[in-house]
Formats: sequence, structure tokens, C-alpha cells
Amino acid sequence: MDALVPLFDALLGALLLWLAWQSIFAADLFRAVVSFMIFGLLMALAWVRLEAPDIALAEAAIGAGVTGALLLSALGRLPRERYAEAAQHILSHSYWLLFWAPVVLLAWFLWSLEAAPPSPPGLGEMVAIHQPAAGVDNPVTAVLLAFRALDTLLEIGVLLLGSLAIWSLGPSPWSTGPAMPSPALPAMARALFPAFVLVSVYLLWRGSHAPGGAFPAGAVMGAGGVLMLLAGARPWLTGGEQGPWRWLLTLGLGTMLVVASVTQFAGYVFFQYPSDWSGRLITLLELAAGLSIALLLFALYLGGQPPVRWRDRGWQ
Amino acid sequence: MIPDLFQIGPSLLFVAPLFAAIAAFVRPRAGAGIYLVSAGLITVASLALVLMVGTLGAWRMDLGGWVPPLGIGWQVDGLSVAMLLLTALVMGGAGVYRVAEGDAGHSPLFWPLWLFLWGGLNALFLSADLFNLYVTLELVSLAAVALIAMGGRTALVPAWRYFIATLLGSTVFLMGVALLYGQHGSLDMRLLQGALGPAAIELLASLLITLGLLLKGAVFPLHFWLPAAHGRAPSAVSAALSGVVVTAAFYLMVRLWFGPFSPMLTPALALALGAMGAMGILWGGVMALLQRRLKMLIAYSTVSQLGYVLLVFPLVASGILAAQAWHGAVVLILTHGFAKAALFLSAGVLIRSLGHDRIDRLKGPGQGPALAWLAFALGAVSLVGLPPSGGFMAKWWLLQSALAAGAWHWALVILAGSLLTAVYLFRVLGGPTAGAMTPSSDHSTRAMGFTALILALAAWIPGFVPIPLTGALADTWGMP
Repeated sequence: MDALVPLFDALLGALLLWLAWQSIFAADLFRAVVSFMIFGLLMALAWVRLEAPDIALAEAAIGAGVTGALLLSALGRLPRERYAEAAQHILSHSYWLLFWAPVVLLAWFLWSLEAAPPSPPGLGEMVAIHQPAAGVDNPVTAVLLAFRALDTLLEIGVLLLGSLAIWSLGPSPWSTGPAMPSPALPAMARALFPAFVLVSVYLLWRGSHAPGGAFPAGAVMGAGGVLMLLAGARPWLTGGEQGPWRWLLTLGLGTMLVVASVTQFAGYVFFQYPSDWSGRLITLLELAAGLSIALLLFALYLGGQPPVRWRDRGWQ
Repeated sequence: MIPDLFQIGPSLLFVAPLFAAIAAFVRPRAGAGIYLVSAGLITVASLALVLMVGTLGAWRMDLGGWVPPLGIGWQVDGLSVAMLLLTALVMGGAGVYRVAEGDAGHSPLFWPLWLFLWGGLNALFLSADLFNLYVTLELVSLAAVALIAMGGRTALVPAWRYFIATLLGSTVFLMGVALLYGQHGSLDMRLLQGALGPAAIELLASLLITLGLLLKGAVFPLHFWLPAAHGRAPSAVSAALSGVVVTAAFYLMVRLWFGPFSPMLTPALALALGAMGAMGILWGGVMALLQRRLKMLIAYSTVSQLGYVLLVFPLVASGILAAQAWHGAVVLILTHGFAKAALFLSAGVLIRSLGHDRIDRLKGPGQGPALAWLAFALGAVSLVGLPPSGGFMAKWWLLQSALAAGAWHWALVILAGSLLTAVYLFRVLGGPTAGAMTPSSDHSTRAMGFTALILALAAWIPGFVPIPLTGALADTWGMP
């Protein structure tokens, strides 16, 4: 049995390389996108093999799920005759040069490298020592929301900024969306949606002591919303100025900014949590961030600024 | 308990623009007002930080009380506060220009994007952590792409090209960061300083990081995306991009190669970086000379002028008057930022009042609003490097260092670049000045002209006020 493990790893590595090649060079864009989604799933498997279940979860939910859905919806809006053209136009020769320069550099260095000394350990031990002080049981959550909370704040900022950037490019094309893909989809989506909500709440709760947390939870919830959209539901996220949506989209970033800055007025340093409150504050941040992430991923999928009022497309 | 100013000051610079971005998104109609209030606050805080570092010296912050390598550190030293002040004045000035321009036809999402850009830049200049720097670079790039795209239909393709280029730059940068973390288990620049040696894998990591930054800084021959992106963007955005955003990549190169990467800065590598800078100076200058549109000319001028910053590597490596070369490069970054922002803003005023920016039809300062021409001329003089402007100080220091080291080839490049700059800028200014200079027709054009003028004057400050830069910069690393 143990002899099979290296074989499995080798196979996984080879498949990953082949799928990466396919998703870059496949002449048919649909094939490329599907290869990319499978790549994400196998990559998640690779993370499991590397004993990084948190990254595996995120990779599966975001790398394969959300990104795949985004790519497929972009593909659906591309004029069919431009498929082949697009494959050639998107990347000109200079980009390929830039792409290969680091690869060649890397290969050359790896070639010229002598037998490298075993690399020193990362920060795992240090995180384990300080984790109790952060007030959570999951080391990944401790890193994301305590030790390196600034990175997480900025990442949520990037997500919000991404949505704003897409809104700034024009109105959402969903109001003139494609026709219903399958008559069975609406009923199925309605049946599945509670499951999505349940799973994301579970992941959020789990984040305090085991792999899970705001990003996977938000991604699952967002994916549920995307499924409803695909099934023809009327999106409830509007671009109106007065609606609650703008508050909810910014809730994650706003809460983190407030928590980071107010404790300074009680004598703490920037981004320091009072030690008695640490666990509760982190749970609050997870909740706010998870909600915003779900909505933001959904907003990304709308592909533009939603109208003030959606026209009812119904469930027909 | 009294809040600690050493904590509040930097954190305000980080928090204020992001809060303002949220507010401007939730209340789009109040966008300009929210922007003005936050811009005032940030500018005051930046000035306060400059004074604090100038009088009390540099300090570091451990965010959340978690000491690196576990947590993320910020550094508040001479180099970062200089960049923060540049950002405050350029982003502040260009934003006021945008307010004066009026709202007609503008997307209400401009202000949230603009404030996100500002927040990302402030976070970048404060950060002392390589991964955190990557995230701030992402924030800055994404905001910049969206802002370029606001230039209308013709700006979409340049914005897209910039997006691809900058994303590639980020990815390569991140690869280098991951390699360093794998080797040393730390991302903090202070901790990495002294820990890095001239081993192959560390050289690879630093080269990857530098490659990413060269791409983001549009260094010759990777400058292909810059002219169209900066030329097609709305004028206020062009000013911010050329004045600060591109410059951030140069800031990081200087900080890294004279900081943690310094053991790897071999003469050959310094020569290679300097040669890229020299090629950029000449190529950008010649291309600027060939342009037909004013904004494209100014954009190519950015490729040319920022090439000077890379000359600092061979000049410092030669070891003679190294500190002077280094200060010259920093002052060049600052004065170029101010002067270039002034040039883009005055070009914007000219386009607004004349309806075009074709150089052959501009006919010199005889036509159009006098204020804009004045700002253009003052900015141009500093860019060329004529005394007593700030640009003169910068180029003079670089030149002195080159001459003292006997590096005639660098001295020649510095002089040739200045000559090229003079030719392409005075080609614009060379029309009949005796014509009827029209005073600005309306309030908003006048206000726009004033912001350009103030930025142009800021580029002259280092020539008159002996800024305590030498002292402030000296404690950045204690060397060179």
C-alpha cells in the first residue's frame, strides 16, 4: 500500500502539469476552462497530500468553483466566432517572452544549484506557541485574523475593490442574460440553496477550531447565490444608492478597520485586540468578513454594476 | 489614557483613505466632500510624520503587538515619510483638480477607487513585510487599472495591457517572496537584512522580485505598457500614476537593494541595472521627441526620467560620494513626482480649454489659459534640471557622484538625458509667447490651473529649502 503513495503523487503531479498545459494552450476555450477547473480540483488534492487542508478547501471553493463559474460565464458572453481568434489575440508575443523569462531563469538556477541544505522550518512552531494568546484553536485562523490580520484586511479590500472596478466598467449584462439552460434547474437550485447556507454557516463556525473560516464559507455561500442566478432567479443585489447592499458589501472591510483602530484609544497598539476579547472579536470579524465575501463573490459574478431595479425574469 | 502619536499617526494614514473609500461608495453623492475631508486629514498627518521623523528619528511598529517574524511590521523612516508626503501632495492635488473639474459625466465610483489607490499606496510605503507588500501592490495595481479605464473607450485596451503586465509583475514578485520565506522563515525586511547571503537561491529570489518591480516600474525594455496607459487615462489619474504609482516600484527597488539584498549587489548587477536606466533615459527621451500629442509626450518622459533612478546602483556601487548619489535619486523621485503631476494636470487644463492636445496646433504659451502654461513651464524647468529647481539638485548630485567616481559614461548619459528633456519640453513651450495670453475663462479652469501650479512649485522646494533629508535618510539603514 505504501508503495502506491509515491506513484499516486507522481501521477497527480504529471496530471497537474498536463492540465496546466491544456488550460493555457488548448485551442478551444471551453476545453481550456474545463481543464482549469479540473486543475483546481486536483490542486486541492495536492494540498491535501501536503497536509494543508485549509488551502485545499480554499483552492477547491475559489480556484475550481468560483473562478470556474466566472470563466464559464465570460465564455458564454463571447461571440462564438471569436473563440479561436481570442485564443491568439489575448496574449501577444511579448507577453510570452515575459512569461518564459522567469521560467527559464528558474530552470537555469535549479540546474546550477548544488545539493541544497535542508531548508529551515517555517513559522509553524512559533505560531503554535503564540496561538493561545490569540484566543482561537485553529492555527490558520490565528494567522489570518490575529498575527497577519493586516494582510486579511487588505485582501478583503482587494475583493471589494475588484467589485467596484467591475462596476465602474459598465452595467451588468445579467438583465439581458442568456436563456434558461435547463428546465429542471430552478427547482433543483431552490432545493439546494438551503444546503449551501447550512454548509457555509458550518464552515464559518468550524473556523474557530478546525479548517474552515470566512473565506471558504463566503465562497460556498457566494456559489449558492451564483447557482440561483443561473437557475433564473432575479438577483436581489441592486445598484441603488440607498439600498442596504452597499453597507453589506463593505461590512467586512469596515468592521476590520473599526476593530483595528478603536483599541488604540484604550492604550493598545494598532490592530491589537484586548486579550480577554480576542476570541470574540475574531469571531465577529469572521462573521462580517464571511458575509461580505459571499456578497462580493456574487457581485463579481454579476459582471457589472447591477441596475437600480431588476426586471423580473421570472422562473419560467 | 492618551493615545500614542507614534501609533496614531501612521495608522491614520492607513485607515483614513480606506474608511473614506467605504463612505464614498455607500454615499456616492457625497463623494467629493468625503474626499476633500479625508485628503486634508491625510495631508496633515503626512506632514506631521515628516516633522516627527525629522526631529525624533525613525521608528518601527509591530502591528497587533505581534513581533515579526510572527506578525507584520511597519517602518516609519526618512525614506517612507518622504514617499508618504509625495503621495499626499500628488494624490491630494490631483484629487482637488478632479473636484474642480466638476462631476459632469463622471462615474460616482471614481472617488472610492481613487481613495483605495491612496490607501494602498500609504500601506505600501509603511510596510516592512514582503508578503504584505505584495498585497498592497495588488491593491494599488487594481485601483490603477480601473482608474485608467475611466478614460473612456480608447483607454480600455491600454488599461487591459497594463492589467496583464502588472499582474505578471505581481506573480513574479510573489514567487521571489515565497522563495525567501522558504529559506529564512521570515518576511520582515529588517530581519532579512543581514540574513541573506550571496547563495544562488537567494539571488534567484531577489532577481524574481526585481523583475516584477521592473515590469511595474516600466523600466526599459519593459516599458511597453506605460505610454498608452498614462497617456489615455483621465488627466488627474495620469498625474497620480506617473507621479506616485510607477515610482512605488522604484522606491521598493532602492529599499530592497540597499537593504536586505545588499550582499547580492555585485558590480555586474549594478552595471546591468544602470544600463537599463541609461537605455530608458535615451529611448524614452527620443520617443518623447517624436510624439504628436502632449499627454503621450509627457508619458514617454516618465520612462525617460525614472531611468535616472536606476543610475544610483552603479554610482553607489562605485563607493565614491555614494550617499550623495543616493540622496540625488531620492530627490529625483520626489521632484519628478511633483513636476510630472503638474505637467499632466496643466495638459488637462489645456485640453479642456483648447479641445485638443496636438502639439503642432498648440502654438506655444500664446494660446490658452496662462496659469496652465506657467505651471507647465515651471514643471518643465525642474524636469530638465535647470538651477535653481529641485530637479537641478537631484541631477547635480547624481552628476557630481559620477564625475567624482570618474564614470564618464554615466555623466554623459545624465547630460544627454537632460538635453533631450530640454529639447522635447521646449518644443512645446517654444511658440510665440507674445500673443494674447488669455486669463482663465471660468472658476473651475482657474482652480485646476492653480493645483497644477502648486504641484509645479513643490518641485522647486528642494532647491530653496535645505530639507533635512540627509539626516532623515541616514537612519533608514544606517548606510550607505
